[in-house]
Order: sequence, then structure tokens, then C-alpha cells
Amino acid sequence: MGEETTSLGGIHISPNAVATIAYHATLQSYGVVGLAPRNLADGLVKTITRDPSRGVSVNYNGEVLDIEIHIIVEYGTRINSVAESVANTVRFQVEKALGLKVNSINVHVAGLRVSNTD
Amino acid sequence: MAVEPSRVEKLRKKQINGQSMKRLVEAGMIWLRTNQQTVNALNVFPVPDGDTGTNMVLTMQSAWNEIKDLGYRGISDMANAVSKGALMGARGNSGVILSQLWRGFARGVQGKDVMDGPTFAKAFAEARDTAYRGVVRPVEGTILTVAREVAEATETGLKSTQDAIDILEIAVKAADKAVQKTPELLPVLKQAGVVDSGGKGLFFILEGMLRHVYGESLETPLMSVQPISNMQLHNAMEDVEEGQDYEVVVDFMPSDNFELQKFYGRLEEMGTSIQVGEGEGMYRMHIHVPLEKRYEPIDYIMGLGTITKVAMENLLAQMDDIEKSKAARISFAPVEPGQIAVVVVSPGAGLSRIFASLGVAAVVEGGQTMNPSTQDILNSFENFPTDKVIILPNNKNIIMAANQAKDVTVKQVAVVPSRTVPQGLAAMLSLQPDGELDSVAEKMTKALSAIQTGEITVATRTVEIDGVNVKNGEVIALLDGKLVASAGSVEEACFKLLEKAKADEHELITLFYGQDTPHAEANRIADEIREKYGDQEIEVQEGGQPHYQFIISVE
Repeated sequence: MGEETTSLGGIHISPNAVATIAYHATLQSYGVVGLAPRNLADGLVKTITRDPSRGVSVNYNGEVLDIEIHIIVEYGTRINSVAESVANTVRFQVEKALGLKVNSINVHVAGLRVSNTD
Repeated sequence: MAVEPSRVEKLRKKQINGQSMKRLVEAGMIWLRTNQQTVNALNVFPVPDGDTGTNMVLTMQSAWNEIKDLGYRGISDMANAVSKGALMGARGNSGVILSQLWRGFARGVQGKDVMDGPTFAKAFAEARDTAYRGVVRPVEGTILTVAREVAEATETGLKSTQDAIDILEIAVKAADKAVQKTPELLPVLKQAGVVDSGGKGLFFILEGMLRHVYGESLETPLMSVQPISNMQLHNAMEDVEEGQDYEVVVDFMPSDNFELQKFYGRLEEMGTSIQVGEGEGMYRMHIHVPLEKRYEPIDYIMGLGTITKVAMENLLAQMDDIEKSKAARISFAPVEPGQIAVVVVSPGAGLSRIFASLGVAAVVEGGQTMNPSTQDILNSFENFPTDKVIILPNNKNIIMAANQAKDVTVKQVAVVPSRTVPQGLAAMLSLQPDGELDSVAEKMTKALSAIQTGEITVATRTVEIDGVNVKNGEVIALLDGKLVASAGSVEEACFKLLEKAKADEHELITLFYGQDTPHAEANRIADEIREKYGDQEIEVQEGGQPHYQFIISVE
């Protein structure tokens, strides 16, 4: 994906690179306590291969870049705001780091973590 | 600002109860709101979390709304309510963190009726812990760091005092210090030469509480000098204080030894709503003062430097104007249970009034450049005592939002897909409030095609559509949404449009003139049309719509 040719040669950015940036940006977002694999098989594979982008999938069809993120949110935060801020942060970080325009970011709230009851 | 020692001493002896807590929260919110622009200005990048100050203010306001009508409560209940309000209204990253801080705070005072020093410190500690639990990789140099350092400082402070006010003082000091330190922890802040905005916001909340204790003013930003372009001088109209009748704005170039702090202090003695802006060595001062003091700020500033411009306005006279325009408010048809109520989207005040006279029950403002949301439409009829509603979108871009509103609500809703205002008006003539919803909607939909709509506006770019060449800035005529003519003047466009619409074969031509078209101009053009179309009846109505010089219906 993300091909660019300069006088010195080509630059190629893999979806994994995008996913890794998105992953780290997500984890730094307030209210997110973890990312969730999309399904069991995916979770196993990514755990075994120590994939640094668990819970993030990147689609790039040559023109538009779409990112899906599955997050676990701290119970008691306003989920809407948390998800919105994840989308904002990820978009900003990806666009800043790679200079690729992000078309859409879908944030899926896969679960909530209850750290204590009040 | 002088601190009255006796007042603070009195407060010192007391513990903080629910009522004082309520005042503290209010003070924190007001002081944050006063300094909102200062916080907003600290943003390092446009995204994420664009307007930290605004987000935090909205979150605090939501918290305050939750408690402002509460009667006497213990501190535990009060803090729980604050926490709930903050959670519900949390906006943006900083708002979410702020709501978590309040949630932890509430946990810290759980079961208590009043709050002493140790409880206060415990609440700060709980706030910190709760906030830190909400993130996997806390970024240091943010509001989280400030919350942590406040908690640590107050814990240490307990060794020397048990008093709640002392603890608050310690908290404010610690917050200030922590905020100053944020650039050392977060390189991006250092690069931009700012401190962390969220942390600064938290500092303002705490400082506002302390200022309330000291009895200091919460409405005037201490040292805030904003760029002149940012000054919003006419936003304070609603809250003109009793006796502060004159608004005085002075532009001046101060001489060298200009002391802002002293300047503010002196202005505060004269009036209220003080704002000071700065740009390229120029200062602009804005103040509301009573009648007899209206020259005082000018005299005072005269001694400080060179005055370049003075503007003075009588606010009471302005208020009268506002009252008058309120009196011109539109009265809608009352909604009877079981009857059909009609909601229309209208782009201008004049058109709204015409719709109201035809019996619509509510108007949603919106049009070509300002499409209302599904929620706006929903809000307009959700509270009606009837469950039969017809929506007239009056714009093709709004039909979808109207249909969504229909899908969301439990009421029976029919959308009559009017694409223009004249279509909407034509449809209203077929309304029978007592009829069956479906058959009435069908009749109204049929009425849409009985009318032709012309629109006159100015082209915003050069294009060729439907075989018509248009240059940027030319007047164009649209007939039923299709571009039919371009012209050098509004009248020419009107005539070309009427020709295309075959107006001579119809009976009635109505001109709705827009907000930028003077009444006299509209009448003049109508007279010219009357000359040419002698057999047709010509009507002129005030439409008040933006962007379109005329909306014309031909029927």
C-alpha cells in the first residue's frame, strides 16, 4: 500500500505499519483499557505471532484507507466521548506519521472493564 | 484584590458541607469558563481534542446543571450528583478525564456528610486513582500528571494541617506547579512553547474554588490578553447587569510602563464585563459601566497612552431593540390531541411567519446552507400532544433527515417531500388537521406538483450546467432546482425565469424577497413584472431567506 516514488527509489508502507501506529495511539487514548481481537482465531494467531496490532485492522484498496479498531472501555466513562477521541487521535497520529489520508475509522466497543463498583 | 482575613478565618473553622461544595463547584465552573479562551489557546495541534477549554467547560456545566436545583444534601450525595452530571456531559478527551476525576472524588467522600482536610485529601487521592485506571499507557505531562501531583501534595500537606481550606490552598499551589512542569514531561508541549491545556483547565477549576473562598471576582480573567480578533464584544448582551447601561470600547496604544494587572484592577472598580485585547502594540478595552461613569474609562486610559478610537453604546437601547424583536415572535397554531400537526423547515423569518399563518405547528430553522439535523427535526415535534405529524422539509437536502426523524420516533409521521418553500406553502393549503394522516399527506404531496418554484441567487463559481454558461458573480435563475438562465442583474434573471416558467399561462406570481434584498428594491422589481405580466396577479412577501435574493412561486 502507500506507494510513493522519489528520485532515490520507492517508499512502501505496509498495512501493518499503519496498524501499529493506530494501536499505540489507541492505547494512549483516555478511557481505553485494552484492545480486543476481532474473533477467537484472530486473537490466537496474533497472540502467537506477537502481532503488535491486535484489535486493529487496516483496509487499503489503493485509494482510501479505512481502519477498524476494537476497544475495551473503562466502565463509567462516557463511551461516546471515548470512542470519538480514539477516532480523532488515531486519525491525527496516522496522518501525521505517514502522510496518508484516512478515509474512515470505525471504533467498535467490544466490551467494558469494571475495575470497581460504585 | 484584597483578601478579607476575617472571612477566610471564619471559613477555616468550618468543614465543607454539601452546600459549600455546591458553591465551590459553581465557582470552579465559572472561573474555568472565564478563562476558557486561555485554555483553548494552549492547544498544540488542531486535533485531537480541538477545544480543551470548551470541552471542559461543557463538562463542568453539565455537572453544575445536575446539582444547581438540589436542596440541602450531604457532601456525599452532592459529589455523586456532580460525578453523574460530569459523566453525562463529558466532552472530548479532557472532559472524560475530568468526569473520571469527579467520579473518584465522589468515591473519596462516600458516606460523609461534611468534608474536613483529611477527607478532602482522600478525595483527591481517589480522583487520581480512578483517573489513572482509565488508561493503559498514561501520557505524563497532561491533566493526569496534574491530578497526581495535587493528590500527592495534599497527602503530604496533612502533616501540617487538618483544615479543608488549607488543603485546597495546597492543591491550587501544587496544580500550578505541576502545570508549569508539563512541558518538561511532554516534548510536544515544549516544542510548541505551551503548558498542557487540560492540566491548566484543572488548575482553573481548583483556583476558582479558592477564589470563591477568598471572595475574589470570578468573572474577570486575571491576565488574559487575547488577540483583538478573538474578542467577542456582542456576546454578553443577555446578561447586561442592572445599572451597567453603557458599553464603552476604547482602542489605545499604551505608553511603556503599562501594567496590565493594575489596569484590570482599576477597571474593575468602574464596571463589569471587562475584556482586554491586544494586537501589534494596540490594545482594545471593553467594559460595561453605569450612565454616570461612562466617561471614566476614557479619562483613565487617556493617562495611560494614546487613544485611537472610542466607541460607546447605550445597552438599554439595544436591549429595547431585542425586546421588540422578541415581540415580533411568531405564534404557531396550537396542537390539539388527535389532530395532525405540521412541522416545516424554513430558511427565513419572513417565510416562517407565512407558514405560521397557514397553520403549521412548529418551524425548524434551516435551508440550503444550513441543513437541520434529524435531532433538530425530532425535537420540534416530540413534545406535541398528538401522535400524527407531517413534516415538510422544503429542501431536497433535508428530505433524508426528515425521513430519518420519521424512522426514529414512535409517533406516526408522514414526510411530504417538498423540495422548495413554495411547494411547502402549496402543500399547506391542502392541510386538513382533522383528516386521516395518510390521505392528507397524499393530498399534500399531490399539491406539490401544482406549483413551479423559481430561485434567484448569485453564482459562487464559474460552471456550465444544463447548457447554461455561468460566470462567478453572475445572477442565476433556477426553476424547480434546474439552472435555466444567467444574467447580469437580478431583474433580468427574474424576467428570464418567468419566461421559462411560462408565467403568462398562469395566474399568480409570488415574490419572496431574501434578507439581503431591500423591501423597496423588491417592490420596484415587482412593479416592472406587473407591467409586463398585466393579466397575472403579482404578490410580494418578505421571505428573509439568506443567499437567495428571491424565491418565486408561479401557480
